[in-house]
Amino acid sequence: MKFTIQREQLMESVQHVMKAISSRTTIPILTGMKLEATAEGVKLTGSDSDISIESFIPAEEDGIVYVEGIEPGSIVLQAKYFPDIVRKLPQSTVDIESDNRLNITIQSGSAEFHLNGQDAEEYPQLPQVHTDNSFELPIDLLKSLVRQTVFAVSSSETRPILTGVKVQLDEGELSFTATDSHRLASRKLKLENGNDQTSFSSVVIPGKSLTELNKILADTEDNIEISVTDNQVLFRTKHLFFLSRLLEGNYPETSRLIPEQSKTVVTMGAKELLNSVDRASLLARENRNNVVRLVTKEGREIEITGNSPEVGNVVEEVEADSVDGEDLKISFSAKYMMDALKAVDHDQVKVEFTGAMRPFLIRPIDDDQILQLILPVRTY
Amino acid sequence: MSKRYPTNGQIIFHVDMNSFYASVEMAFDPSLKGKPLAIAGNPEERRGIVVTSSYEARKYGVKTTMPVGEAIRLCPNLTVMRPNFQRYKQASREMFKILADVTPVIQPVSIDEGYMDVTLCADQGSPPEIAEAIQRRITEELDLPCSIGIAPNKFLAKMASDMKKPMGITILRKRDLATTLWPLPIEEMYGVGEKTAVKLRNLKIETIGDLAEADTWQLKHVLGINGERLQNRAKGIDSRPVDPDAVNEFKSIGTSTTLPYDTTQENEVRQVLRRLARKVSDRMDAKRVLAHNVQLTIRYHDRRTVTRSMQLQDYIGTADELFSISFSLFEEHWNQQPIRLLGITAQDLAEKKEITQQLDIFSYEKHAEKEKLYEAMNNLTDKYGKHMFPDLSSTSKSTQVSTSFQKDFLNDYKK
Amino acid sequence: MQTWTELKEIQPLAGQMLVNSFKKNRISHAYLFQGPEGTGKREASILFTKGLFCEQLDGAEPCHQCRNCIRIDSGNHPDVHWIEPDGQSIKKEQILHLQKEFTYTGMESNQKVYVVVDADKMTTNASNRLLKFLEEPTQQTTAMLLTENGQALLNTIRSRCQLLAFQPLPPHRLQQKLSSEGVSESNARLLSALTNDLTEALDMNKDEWFANARKLVIQLIEVLQSKPNEVLLFVNHQWMPHFKERDQMQQGLDLLVLWFQDLINQFVGREEEVVFVQEREKREQASMQWSRQTATDQLSHILEAKRKINQNVHPTLVMEQLTLYLKR
Repeated sequence: MKFTIQREQLMESVQHVMKAISSRTTIPILTGMKLEATAEGVKLTGSDSDISIESFIPAEEDGIVYVEGIEPGSIVLQAKYFPDIVRKLPQSTVDIESDNRLNITIQSGSAEFHLNGQDAEEYPQLPQVHTDNSFELPIDLLKSLVRQTVFAVSSSETRPILTGVKVQLDEGELSFTATDSHRLASRKLKLENGNDQTSFSSVVIPGKSLTELNKILADTEDNIEISVTDNQVLFRTKHLFFLSRLLEGNYPETSRLIPEQSKTVVTMGAKELLNSVDRASLLARENRNNVVRLVTKEGREIEITGNSPEVGNVVEEVEADSVDGEDLKISFSAKYMMDALKAVDHDQVKVEFTGAMRPFLIRPIDDDQILQLILPVRTY
Repeated sequence: MSKRYPTNGQIIFHVDMNSFYASVEMAFDPSLKGKPLAIAGNPEERRGIVVTSSYEARKYGVKTTMPVGEAIRLCPNLTVMRPNFQRYKQASREMFKILADVTPVIQPVSIDEGYMDVTLCADQGSPPEIAEAIQRRITEELDLPCSIGIAPNKFLAKMASDMKKPMGITILRKRDLATTLWPLPIEEMYGVGEKTAVKLRNLKIETIGDLAEADTWQLKHVLGINGERLQNRAKGIDSRPVDPDAVNEFKSIGTSTTLPYDTTQENEVRQVLRRLARKVSDRMDAKRVLAHNVQLTIRYHDRRTVTRSMQLQDYIGTADELFSISFSLFEEHWNQQPIRLLGITAQDLAEKKEITQQLDIFSYEKHAEKEKLYEAMNNLTDKYGKHMFPDLSSTSKSTQVSTSFQKDFLNDYKK
Repeated sequence: MQTWTELKEIQPLAGQMLVNSFKKNRISHAYLFQGPEGTGKREASILFTKGLFCEQLDGAEPCHQCRNCIRIDSGNHPDVHWIEPDGQSIKKEQILHLQKEFTYTGMESNQKVYVVVDADKMTTNASNRLLKFLEEPTQQTTAMLLTENGQALLNTIRSRCQLLAFQPLPPHRLQQKLSSEGVSESNARLLSALTNDLTEALDMNKDEWFANARKLVIQLIEVLQSKPNEVLLFVNHQWMPHFKERDQMQQGLDLLVLWFQDLINQFVGREEEVVFVQEREKREQASMQWSRQTATDQLSHILEAKRKINQNVHPTLVMEQLTLYLKR
């Protein structure tokens, strides 16, 4: 394998794939980074087995040459030193070459490094794209789907399946669902033309992987392609491929848990509600789960109370746009409410209650694609 | 016995840290000293609430529970900070360690106050000398101010520590009551809350002295057993001992049983654990507490004993929950040897009234079914007070103590 | 041991059962390989794993050439997990890692294998956690537990595995095998008396330390016979410097045991059992000097010395005491 590459492009790719490489892996080869040169360009791969990231540097794009003198081949090199070496190289181009005894030479100007490589055959084989099970959507939309759901995954390993987000595509409608059993977040999206042929039975993607994906993707309206295989899901942008293993097991059926009728409906500004819950819960910050109480009052008045045994009650009175139905006293986690309101991401929200011991829903007034559900708290 | 000590009666200190959170912040960052400082839930928000403030701030009228905006209006150069609970716990632990150097008979009450019984500490000096030494050490080593009340019982010690702040040492003898304690308005009496004060004033009881002289029968009629208790306190009578284990009270409830013969039969173990779980659950119910941790004890035929515990996500209390947790501990840790004794201990207990219970999407139905009942209970509770309904049973998931500090760590000074 | 055929030579029963599970396509969720050290358990687990992943499987025989076989050998196959004792025991954290691994899909496919080496070294907690997922096996997941001491495992674990007993190799089989590998007749005899592990025997055959150990044992006998007063000198200057470690000392004593067994065999006329075939002359000399009863006593002193070494008594003391008994 041999090629000459623009240092800046190489550095950028190295930084991308390093995000997947961990020194604490039980599989020795994964401490390395795979380099693969073909006539089309150079591909770098890093993986911690849970997620894998591939970054592709085309030989030429838009008339700009990034890689030259390519002799195809592949090698795995120690990821520990490689980024530092690339960063410190003196010139804007880098020559990388490996011989058949797995010795690697990295040269740039007068600087020359020799590294021992490992056989690329030892590296895991990542699944190839299955076009049958692929669909596309804009990156910024995918990011908001993730952001609006992934916070609700469970952090406890007692039910491993709940640590993931259920992703389903059914007749052109994509849906993301997450629940830690105390709250549930769901987001649906009708895919644009050309995608409505695709569907797959649901897969469960680890929440950690999606959080990582969101960090890596830049906010753009470019498309991203998503492909699902038996054991991995692949997110593919122009030059960056992100793969994640899936969670095994059956995701619990949640659609029947979402109440269809309500007894008390409150509509109001999301920000106002968020701020008053925030203030009411201020004093008990130390608690993981700090509880506020919401009581409907005369007319459109709502009282939100936070109770702190040290300093007493904090009472917030806010005026809703409308309050319809039965009177209500309900307690819930301030954090869950704030998380949900932030995820809803609309100015006006509708909160639908069915009683003090039953789940309630938070939705934007004019958008039924976003749904947040919270289970209340019982006080003694 | 030293002459300085009375031959009968006890000497109790109440040590009270002065504006504790603010003082800890000042010790941490001395540049804050002498400046008006407030600790508030959320300083960026003008409607955040002041949790505590320094004496400099209090001069301007800044008070606890006042919104930050109002506090700043009263005191424009007020520094407002978020609370650092870890820091306060650490300081509290160090403070109790200093008290523990004087006597082991200490009863921590909260993060910033505690009682100590120095009756048997004559070798360390007279009570005022001991108090001065404590105050000096807390100032020198922790850079924190405190007030100490010295009295023959806990109630008077508590009242005494309140009389001079900051950095006071106040002695309150029984013979001084008429001049120091009795003239105080009834609201200043420890144990008299807003509601009680109103009821007392309705009886024309305006001062602590009035309470001491009031008609006992009438007090009992209006305030119940608490009326008599308060009157005794006002008279300077309080027989509660300083109890170092008070923090541990309800800390654990456990039971164990020796089997009639050694067994390796899983269904026998099941039966025994079920029985033990029911016993523990009943006792927890009686004390109105729930547990955050369950410990299983297994003693083998060779008397080797292992205890294994599980920290829970939720507070639990039913026999079923106790059983299933202790049985899973058993499954996880039994080495298949014959068993002689089994025990279950519920640990890390909290009072139900301090606990809230997060409902679960997969199991909320069983609570929802009882919603009407709860509602009726709540309405009656609002009308007639908290103790209307002793909770006889409960099922719970995802429960949480809602006090902003739990009392567990108050034991840490012993470590 | 590269093939099932080779494995079956030393483990006919276990080998055949494993091959059959391939042929009949009846792979269990969990196997327990139990048998003494050196009986081919690890080799069998590698062969079996390769059988599950090999891209060019021929019957039950893996190719050893394909990418999967190669990575199973190098430990780089991402869906094959080896759990070995970390220090004295297999810890809960190691099992937790496995547990997490098995809530995820495989990396390359959904075929997953885990091998727990020295499974008896799992802590009780680790065992019970393992039990949990032996009880709820996921599809296409195969576990192999290897142990020298199957009785030390929880019954509940044993009962959920298919048990495969790995038998110690009979000495005469090993001796034949060694001879066919080019080991001299006398060495093959000695080595097969000392171990039932073919690989270990071959290693010892090439090991200079072992050759010298053997010489020192013969020399010790000579000193005991002809210069008994110098025996302590010999122990301190010759014997101890060579047998520095406890297990080396044990091996020296094992050789000594064999020599005295030979002597007793000669007394009772079982010449064919003799191990040190070349030392006939010294043995005959000894049988003049020591009675059969003495030889029996000497043997029990050596066994006692072995016990003391095990109990961490100082080796020099043990050896000095032993030689004082032997020279009587």
